[in-house]
Amino acid sequence: MERFIGYKCKSCGRVMYPKHDRCLTCKGTEFEEVELGKEAKLVTYTKLYAIPEGIEMPPLTLGIVDFGNNVRAFGQIMTDDPQLGMKLRPVWGKLRKMRGKDIYGFKFEPIEKS
Amino acid sequence: MRDVAIIGAGMTKFGRAQGDLMDILAEASMRAIKDAKVEKEDFDAVYVANMMAGETVHQTAIASSLVDRINLVPAAAERLENGPAASGSALKNAFIAVASGFYDLVLVAGGEKMSTADTDVVTDLVATMTHPTAEYIHGVTLPAMGAMLTRLYMERYGLTERHLAMVAVKNHANALKNPYAHIQRACTVEGAMSSGIVSDPLRLYYVCPISDGSAAVVLCSLDKAKEFTDKPVRIAGFGHATDVQAVHEREDPAVLKSVQLASKQAFKMAGMKPADIDVAEVHDAFEILEIVESEDVGFFEKGKGHIAVEKRVTALDGELPINPSGGLKARGHAVGATGMAQIVELVWQLRGECGERQVKEAKKALACNFGGFGNNTVIHILEQGW
Repeated sequence: MERFIGYKCKSCGRVMYPKHDRCLTCKGTEFEEVELGKEAKLVTYTKLYAIPEGIEMPPLTLGIVDFGNNVRAFGQIMTDDPQLGMKLRPVWGKLRKMRGKDIYGFKFEPIEKS
Repeated sequence: MRDVAIIGAGMTKFGRAQGDLMDILAEASMRAIKDAKVEKEDFDAVYVANMMAGETVHQTAIASSLVDRINLVPAAAERLENGPAASGSALKNAFIAVASGFYDLVLVAGGEKMSTADTDVVTDLVATMTHPTAEYIHGVTLPAMGAMLTRLYMERYGLTERHLAMVAVKNHANALKNPYAHIQRACTVEGAMSSGIVSDPLRLYYVCPISDGSAAVVLCSLDKAKEFTDKPVRIAGFGHATDVQAVHEREDPAVLKSVQLASKQAFKMAGMKPADIDVAEVHDAFEILEIVESEDVGFFEKGKGHIAVEKRVTALDGELPINPSGGLKARGHAVGATGMAQIVELVWQLRGECGERQVKEAKKALACNFGGFGNNTVIHILEQGW
């Protein structure tokens, strides 16, 4: 199963996503891969109507999610009814087509309230 | 280091240009050269700012073409690409070259021809400025970035859609007084608020158009400037700073830190403070950006920029007029040329040549030009050099 990976600085412990070759905090140059987390909160979002190539139907919901400790990610939000602060989990899937080719990556799915 | 002056400025009307990229670059350049009265002089260098000629007009190495077209051969010539901050970067590099004493007479021209490509192609080209794996492939566009920033501001600072509409109305009104502006049409708050949604909560009227256009200036040392003009405009300072590329990874996604840093550098170099500025041109690709930049440049407290809009502080007859040209929203956004159009407007403002849109007592001016989604910012401060 695909894991949503970030990069943890071996010197200071800061987790970064995406990858940098010098740590954003301490300029360390050694990193280990870590899973970003299984639950994140929605920080901001938009429903994009002027959609780019390879997205089938508007609107495309996009947003920034926060895993805690200032580790955040950007991606597609799998709901037409996004709410700030809602809990989401990363899931692997098809993002869009680009030049006829399917592109895969992580997107974010609401965690149902039990 | 020598003092550097702008001794000539010129631009084309922004909008849909009849001519090709080289036609508009040559037109703006020759206007600047004639304005500086240096038609017969030898130039040392030419900096050409452009973002996407290879993709939109299938032409590369365009600086070589421009020096050929307007016969500035054998001046050193190069193209600078720095996204929509290309012109700010080109001016900065030209400034350093003249200030250092290495070059004496320099042309800086920004030009972009975008109407040759379809809107979705241009939107995609602009989106390639975002982080390739963490942002671009997920389907982000620049309007989507603007929309997410707007939502953060609504949540945190009480900004409403009406504030965005008010900025658009102001900039459309200013552009009506600018014969070089792309959009020559008044709009109302209600009209703006009923336009179509591009990326919720951004509507069409809160987003800049795609424009063709070119703008140029001529630089030399301030000492030498007096030989050519009674009204040299001194480049008092610049700042240039970057931030991490992915918006989600910034310390605070609601802060344009590169704007804050570039602004601090520019004010320090100029020996001025934000309150000294009489008129500003800022990079309102989306109307939220005029508000956020006006705070991060240092004009208003963080989270209070929309209040200044409400109080008409930034109107043409306000305490600090912002975007008298109409801004990117209405003067137009010809990406690689936009930063130079800001500079040309401010040169004209400082020389008192802006007619109906002239800002009273405009002696010191600031231009904020940025690339990416606010992660590469160039700020210039200009002042009357006479």
